[in-house]
Amino acid sequence: MTEYIKPFASMKDFRLQVLIASIVILVSFGILLARLWKLQLIESDYFSEMSYGNRTRLMRLPPSRGAITDCNGTILAQNQPNFSLSIMPGELQEPEKVIDSGSSILGITPEKMRLLLLNAANSPKYRNFQIKKNLTVEEISLLKSRLGNVRGVVIETRPLREYPFGESLCHVLGTMGEISAEELVRSERFVYRAGDLVGKTGIEKEYESYLKGEEGWNQIEIDAKGRQLGSTNRIPPQRGADISLTIDISLQKFVEEVFIERAGSVVALDPDTGRVLALVSKPGFDLNLFSPSISERNWKSLNSDPLHPLENRSIRGLYAPGSTFKIVTAMAGLSEGVVKPETTFECSGELEVSSQIYRCWKTKGHGKVSMHRAMVESCDVYFYELGLRLGADRIAKYSSLFGFGAATGIELSNELPGLVPNSLWKQRNYGVPIKDGDSVTISIGQGYLLATPIQMANMAAAVANNGKVMKPYLVEKIKSSDGQLLFENQPVQKWNASFNSGYLELIQRALKDVVEDRSGTGRKSFIPGLKVYAKTGTSQVIREKDRGTEQEQVPYHERTHAMFVAYVNDRPRKIALAVVVEHGGGGGAVAAPIAKKILCKYYGIPDSPR
Amino acid sequence: MLDTMSHTQFNNRLLNPFGRFEWAMVSVSIILTLFGLILIYSATTSLAASEKNFVIKQFTWMCLSLVMLIALTLVDYKLFEKYAFWVYFALILALVVVWAIGRVTAGSRRWIDLGLMRFQPSEFAKLAVVLALSRCLSEKFGAGGLQILDLVKPAIIIAVPALLVLVQPDLGTAVVTILIGASLVLFAGPPRRVLAWMAAGLLSLIVFLYFFGGRFLLDYQKRRIATFLNPEYDPLGSGYHILQSQIAIGSGGLTGQGFMQGAQNQLMFLPVKHTDFIFTILAEEFGFIGCLVVLVLFATYLFRGLSIAQKARDSFGALVTFGCISIIFWHVTINVGMVMGLLPVVGVPLNFVSYGGSSLLSSFIITGLVANVSARRFSYLE
Repeated sequence: MTEYIKPFASMKDFRLQVLIASIVILVSFGILLARLWKLQLIESDYFSEMSYGNRTRLMRLPPSRGAITDCNGTILAQNQPNFSLSIMPGELQEPEKVIDSGSSILGITPEKMRLLLLNAANSPKYRNFQIKKNLTVEEISLLKSRLGNVRGVVIETRPLREYPFGESLCHVLGTMGEISAEELVRSERFVYRAGDLVGKTGIEKEYESYLKGEEGWNQIEIDAKGRQLGSTNRIPPQRGADISLTIDISLQKFVEEVFIERAGSVVALDPDTGRVLALVSKPGFDLNLFSPSISERNWKSLNSDPLHPLENRSIRGLYAPGSTFKIVTAMAGLSEGVVKPETTFECSGELEVSSQIYRCWKTKGHGKVSMHRAMVESCDVYFYELGLRLGADRIAKYSSLFGFGAATGIELSNELPGLVPNSLWKQRNYGVPIKDGDSVTISIGQGYLLATPIQMANMAAAVANNGKVMKPYLVEKIKSSDGQLLFENQPVQKWNASFNSGYLELIQRALKDVVEDRSGTGRKSFIPGLKVYAKTGTSQVIREKDRGTEQEQVPYHERTHAMFVAYVNDRPRKIALAVVVEHGGGGGAVAAPIAKKILCKYYGIPDSPR
Repeated sequence: MLDTMSHTQFNNRLLNPFGRFEWAMVSVSIILTLFGLILIYSATTSLAASEKNFVIKQFTWMCLSLVMLIALTLVDYKLFEKYAFWVYFALILALVVVWAIGRVTAGSRRWIDLGLMRFQPSEFAKLAVVLALSRCLSEKFGAGGLQILDLVKPAIIIAVPALLVLVQPDLGTAVVTILIGASLVLFAGPPRRVLAWMAAGLLSLIVFLYFFGGRFLLDYQKRRIATFLNPEYDPLGSGYHILQSQIAIGSGGLTGQGFMQGAQNQLMFLPVKHTDFIFTILAEEFGFIGCLVVLVLFATYLFRGLSIAQKARDSFGALVTFGCISIIFWHVTINVGMVMGLLPVVGVPLNFVSYGGSSLLSSFIITGLVANVSARRFSYLE
């Protein structure tokens, strides 16, 4: 038999301590219970009266959100007070009076009013139940005079976000919406409450912490009828900071108006600094639909629209850049020594690579073409030859130097990086090595290559800048409500590609002749007295089966995208821009005239009829 | 007691740690947590969009805590004795990290952000103090009782985390840490002479603070410091919160206003009502009877724990159990006293009931440690 005894001879006896501890616990809990007894049983009536009758309340004073303006100070988004009639069901005392007066003032039938109050009675007792929003000034004064003394009737003031330009610049400014549970939990540091409106997209979202402002508090006393007796302590809210953008709303609006096609994007940048001059994505939507909250019906129609109006195409639209990409291929060919400026290739209208026929857009062929002519007339076969000799990896290297394949870093966080295919990427994603055929299609900006309009505009800016790639930016400065400058953006040069100046000049000359030469593909953007450098592009959406079909006969979704990049850099105000017209047809025919109108407006040149 | 048990029966119980599983305390822990879930739901329902989130989060923490509890029961608490100082140093390090890089929450740093969750080391620091102190004090028993010099090490063990918590700044938690440590030292039973020295030291400190503490600060400075230490409780610095809390408790009456029907809860602005002021919701919506039930549950828990401390197989087990129990005791007393206006407002949670992952997890760790000591109450002669 094993013996069981407590194992330690030196084991202390804690009996006395346990006894003392027990007494301490009993006494402490006794005191707590006595206090509870006093509060809950003896003084209960007094506190119940306090709870119902005279009491102080701590009211949260929501801050006024900062405004967003354009570079000239024109208001693009601001707060306007909005009044609504609400009922607090737990406090409502004279429902009949509310039904009577309410229905006559608001023009709601008494039956509907009764139904609303019934719904209110079934909702949480001490939460405001909204009866009608967007009250007019007359309605407010009538309600105040007739129902002002009725307990439980509340006229709520809520700031309403107003966008004076409606649809203009909608993707950049962004929408507001009720804070989600997830955001609420994440943002414990900032004092948000459920029901608060926060920026959901665009500048409203990215600069939420600046725009928001700081809430204030008001401690008020309320009598048994719910009337405010007085404010005992008040900390006023602080208005949020104002943000001014680099964009000039008049140019932006003009671009939006001249862009009459169904879908696409225009991005205009200042090549020297990266300031965004205009950022258009079509179709758009009226920002005021989202304020204070978007209706189910409007949301559904926006969301199910096949043209995706909510998507910001200028930073998220992925397109094959088409022939505008020939700038990159040309620079790669020259810099890598694959061709010399004077090298010529014979264009017979097609080229056979690995027993596959690749056609030039000009069926008859261009004949003997040099680099200059190949750019000006956008000869495909010349660039096929170039692509074949360069290979995909060397093209990818120069693509990256021009900023393709990576987000430009503009302040909008959901920007897409696009895609620059190389051999590693092809091996990883398709399990096969990259082929000559791929290099050939990439060389004219087709195939796997994908770029956003802002990347194309930034490429044009890099050419205008002799190889310096700037980071595009939208926010000029942020000023606090008391006028203090909180933030001022400085141009950021991402890198200098340090291209050979001779090659750059050659390409720039070619881009000028795209517009000025009689055989140039960008003829339609010719403006007398202005040196425009440009490149057209027409990118295929599906493999072309039938060359002969006229664009009008092709279904919309199979039509080619029209592309156009251009820049002007010999004036004090410079500009680089990219125009993308989805399923628009030819770049020279459709996109170039839009660019011409924009440039005429920007430089104040009267737009001469063709 | 042992004589009545057959050999095999006893052996089985030894081999199976659930044989002596502390069902009473574990059940009380779970019942209190479930009660807390109901109150959290009611407290956060005015935060329309996020109500489910709080309850679901707390429920997830409860499940996690139960797993932790079972895991803790499976290992012998000898292991905790062995690694007590390591645990202690790890928590000290965590407190330093919080102090250095921790996130600013309402003006004070109390959290380490682990991405998915926020880890509040000061909750666990109290436990670490209990472990380290128990190890330190139990070593003295063999060597013939506690002498005055033997109290130096315990004093350091208590002071270091208390100071680190104080600079966060979290005066309340610092005070609670010291109270827990002091309770444990007293439990170890120092001889009368040592007790007298301790009493004399404490008395002179109180006298000093009473006469000279006020000299250093002006009235408005004291108020400002108080508001600074607890900004979330008193945004206007005018006792608003405690008044509202008392109105809520008082209007609860005998039976309460009913679940989700508390006017103060649903209407008023109490920023921390689902955490440190959860007892207010209980009192308003479930009345005196609801409060009585919860306090009786806590008392059951505490007395059960005391009896385990008394019957533990060794000094370390007894000290750890008593330390754990004293954490719960001080938390409950201070928390309930504070919401009723008996004690100053300090950031102390109501264990099991208050919303908060760190608090809930540490509460279940306490139950787990005590259950462990209880399960290994008897042992072979070694």
